[in-house]
Amino acid sequence: MATDVKPTRKNLMAIEDRIELSERGHDTLEQKRDGLIMEFMDILDQAQDVRSDLSGVYDDAQRKINMARAMDGDIAVRGAAAALKEHPEIVTQSKNIMGVVVPEIESTKVKKSLDERGYGVVGTSARIDEAAGAYEDLIEQIILAAEVETAMKKMLEEIETTKRRVNALEFKLLPDLYESQEYIEQKLEEQEREEIFRLKKIKNKKEEEEDDAVAVESVA
Amino acid sequence: MSQHESASKEIGVIGSQEFTTGFRLAGIRRFETVSEDDKPEKLDDAVESMLEDDGVGIVVMHEADLDYLSRNLRNEVETSVDPVLVTLGGGAGSGGLREQIKRAIGIDLMDES
Repeated sequence: MATDVKPTRKNLMAIEDRIELSERGHDTLEQKRDGLIMEFMDILDQAQDVRSDLSGVYDDAQRKINMARAMDGDIAVRGAAAALKEHPEIVTQSKNIMGVVVPEIESTKVKKSLDERGYGVVGTSARIDEAAGAYEDLIEQIILAAEVETAMKKMLEEIETTKRRVNALEFKLLPDLYESQEYIEQKLEEQEREEIFRLKKIKNKKEEEEDDAVAVESVA
Repeated sequence: MSQHESASKEIGVIGSQEFTTGFRLAGIRRFETVSEDDKPEKLDDAVESMLEDDGVGIVVMHEADLDYLSRNLRNEVETSVDPVLVTLGGGAGSGGLREQIKRAIGIDLMDES
């Protein structure tokens, strides 16, 4: 609160220093926020492309597996699915966009050749192979989507915190500091006026005393 | 630019039998199958165990299944970064992301798509 501070010249100077620092911080943070939003817009475009591709690939994969299910039976598809030996793996690395650490995901063993799949070629049909291939494509697309969407989530978090900091400075800290500054300035002015008044009083009193002394002397 | 490389992780799939089978065909072995009837009760547990699993880097779910989750858990998966949730079949809205964008930027940027 503004009235908590002692109205001294030293405090006034300290508050003026703080105001200067906060204003500078506020400007910098505002720039950071705007920069982040610009970066975010780029990623958003990417994300929307990836998303629309993803739904296309998903529809395709679903169509193919439904076909395999209809022609070869659910049991055959499930049997083939249970036989897989190679499993896709992902490795995440991180990169830095304006101080925000975002992941870069690399995948291995997503795309497999027919003999790597492990369910055997004789017992299964080409439709199951096609469905497996389509789902491999889908996983690749999912990994891409995961990468951009994580980046977006992290950027959004950073934008939110930066925004909150900017607002805290703009609407709380700076107004409080301005209030304290004004309070001290007014108090100091008031003290000064009192001081002047006191001096005048003393001066008047002295003059009166001198006058009295002169009067007494002249009577005597 | 890159700072560190973490251990390799896998992709996890949660959903009905029909949903997970295709992914298993592509070699995914971390999956939770919850039948359509059990979803209101069991989906929460399945998602929770997947979130706690350190070996899972990406969780794949069907967009419609998110509606079965409790409010808190849904919020948690939607904002989770490790593992990150990718939903399928839901169109461009991509769930909580849209809300988050609205909150952080103040404009609904995914409106036109």
